[in-house]
Amino acid sequence: MKRRKKQAYKKGEQRLPTRVSDRVLLPVVAFLLISGFYLAVHSRHARVGREVLLLEEEKAELVREQAELTSTLAELTSPAHLLEQAEALGFRPASYHDMDFLEIDGYIPPAPFVPERPPGGLEHGDGALAPAFTETLGERLFSWLGWGR
Amino acid sequence: MSLRNLSRQRIKVLFGIMLLFVLAIMVQLVRVQYGPYAPVFAKRVEVAESLSDEVVPVRGLIYDRDGDLLAVNAPMYYVEVEIIQLTPASRREIAGVLSQVLNLPYDDLRNQLEADWEGAEQYRIRLRMTTEAGNDWPIIVDQVVADMLNAFLADPEAPDLSGLDLVPAPQRSYPVGALAGHVMGFVNQLGEGFFGVEGYYDDWLTGQGISVQGGTVPLQASRLPDTPAGVNLVLTLDLDIQQMVTDILSQAIDDSGAESGQVVVMDPNNGEILAMVALPQLDSNHYEPWLPEDEEEEEPVINPIVAGQFEPGSTFKVLTMAAALDADVVEPDDIFVDEGVIEVGGVQIRNWNGGKWGPQTMTGCMEHSLNVCLAHIAVDELHANQFYAYLEAFGMGQLTGIDVAGEVSGQIRTPRHPEWTDADLGTNSFGQGISTTPIQLVTAVGAIANEGVMVQPHLVRTVVGPEGEYWPQTTVLGQPVSAEAAEQLTQMLYESLQGETNFARVEGYQLAGKTGTAQIPDEFGYDPTWTIASFIGWGPVSDPQFVVLVRIDRPETSPWGSVIAAPVFRDIVERLVVMLAIPPDDLPQGLVAGQVE
Repeated sequence: MKRRKKQAYKKGEQRLPTRVSDRVLLPVVAFLLISGFYLAVHSRHARVGREVLLLEEEKAELVREQAELTSTLAELTSPAHLLEQAEALGFRPASYHDMDFLEIDGYIPPAPFVPERPPGGLEHGDGALAPAFTETLGERLFSWLGWGR
Repeated sequence: MSLRNLSRQRIKVLFGIMLLFVLAIMVQLVRVQYGPYAPVFAKRVEVAESLSDEVVPVRGLIYDRDGDLLAVNAPMYYVEVEIIQLTPASRREIAGVLSQVLNLPYDDLRNQLEADWEGAEQYRIRLRMTTEAGNDWPIIVDQVVADMLNAFLADPEAPDLSGLDLVPAPQRSYPVGALAGHVMGFVNQLGEGFFGVEGYYDDWLTGQGISVQGGTVPLQASRLPDTPAGVNLVLTLDLDIQQMVTDILSQAIDDSGAESGQVVVMDPNNGEILAMVALPQLDSNHYEPWLPEDEEEEEPVINPIVAGQFEPGSTFKVLTMAAALDADVVEPDDIFVDEGVIEVGGVQIRNWNGGKWGPQTMTGCMEHSLNVCLAHIAVDELHANQFYAYLEAFGMGQLTGIDVAGEVSGQIRTPRHPEWTDADLGTNSFGQGISTTPIQLVTAVGAIANEGVMVQPHLVRTVVGPEGEYWPQTTVLGQPVSAEAAEQLTQMLYESLQGETNFARVEGYQLAGKTGTAQIPDEFGYDPTWTIASFIGWGPVSDPQFVVLVRIDRPETSPWGSVIAAPVFRDIVERLVVMLAIPPDDLPQGLVAGQVE
């Protein structure tokens, strides 16, 4: 009987710090776990956000490059430039004495030039994402309970 | 070591690690919040979270009728400096590199970099320059310079440009340079359009900006919406005709020693402007010299075709004669005996050469451009009320409504004006004492070429927006004279072109036209030395497809429109009939042009 008591005491002596650490550390560990999870989600969010920003920058750069190329092309095809090139190749502007006129049945003059439409200005939706990717728990619950929204 | 001690030890270590971790975070927070870069971070956050971070849409493009680009958005960059990152070496190097590359004064740049911006609570500045005209503008560099500066920034061996930053800014660029500068107007560094098409359609071209929040904060990043872009415009202008007219007019100005000149080519059937040239040219890429240096300085006339008033002189006789024919007070073959002088309101009016031309038909009056004859028609046949009613119907003293910014209305004194006298009626009949703009004159005379129907001149052929296309319809301003009167006058002016003003004839094509030699009013009356030589004509008379006005200011070699302006009209029409594929009169109209093998 005495021996059992001693063993029980010895076990109790070990349990005291264990209980203390349980009471202190478990909430801390839980807090750290939740914080870690929060940080992981948040950092992933930030990384994706950063990626979006980089893609936006890349898009803007491509738009700038396209504008530069358009501008260069327009300069190269300007009448003054083409006239210079043509004269260098030995051509000269046609005079009305050089012209002959032919009657062509069914001739259809070329259609007038119409440029491309500029960007539409519509806000992008979420594409093909299912509601599960975007809806909140509250929205889901409301929907499940049939409370509209 | 007992188990208990071991556990305590472990707990202490764990707490220690956590404490260190927390301390590290706190140190970093304090460093960010109060360290040397704190103001920079604060500024960036302020900008990043700013509610008014505007995404500016791309400005609409402008094309000529064949699709050649007239206005594009070229990538340009503002040169900015983050003050906190500057080092003594980088201040010196940035000023040195920019000074050499952009040919700017070194001291000016150095002063900007050395100024106490932090004291003024500015941590980022945009470097500026003073133009030759004395204007203070932000420095803007093109892609080539930007690439070079970026290469310097990336190369550790290159000059130290720490703190330098290039901020993209879409800049309007005009690939054809000054060729259509007066038509286009320009866009300033804030993206606002002034004058010309850029000014008139500024709201449409600009589009609508969108405000986004936290555009540069990763946690708030989202795909930016496409901003509603500005519309694209297709002009009625034909760049090839514009170039041809510019070359011919430029040569004429050089040959005659004139000060300036303008030419307008319009389709009288629908009011489409095919060419609109004014020399000296305005280069929309470098418009600064056209800005007044101070508020007291008189603003230069941008696009004198719509904003430059002048006394038209004898080209105006076309309108007087049209009115007389329409009112049925004269017939083309009516005889007027020219005595060389007529007195109106106490003022003696004489012919351009002071001569007495004897009996003349109305066609002869136009052919020899007789002031006395036209004054007689206005004073004795039409009378004041009817004469001015016709001028009003022709749009004199009113805006044509052409779609370019900066149009002025010209001036006309009617009998309702307190200072009007009878003498005004006499002088107005041959284009003196009345001011008009070239576009007004072309619009009014265009009515004669279009069976009496006057259409509004316009420069935009198609508007293409995100939702679709819009084709502006021809706007009829009125019918000042009947088709019969217009046809009679066209025939009279065709015949007169065969005589005195044969400098304007083009072989194979029947054209009608009238010369003008106008005196230039000054504070003492009229300038005794200089004139404005002009010619207005249209053709082919059987089916007019163009009206051309040539105006040359202050020619030195000869004062006369028949000598200076008529040959320019001829040279232009000789090329115009090729470009518009107009066959000679002995061939059926509407054929397709082809080159002889």
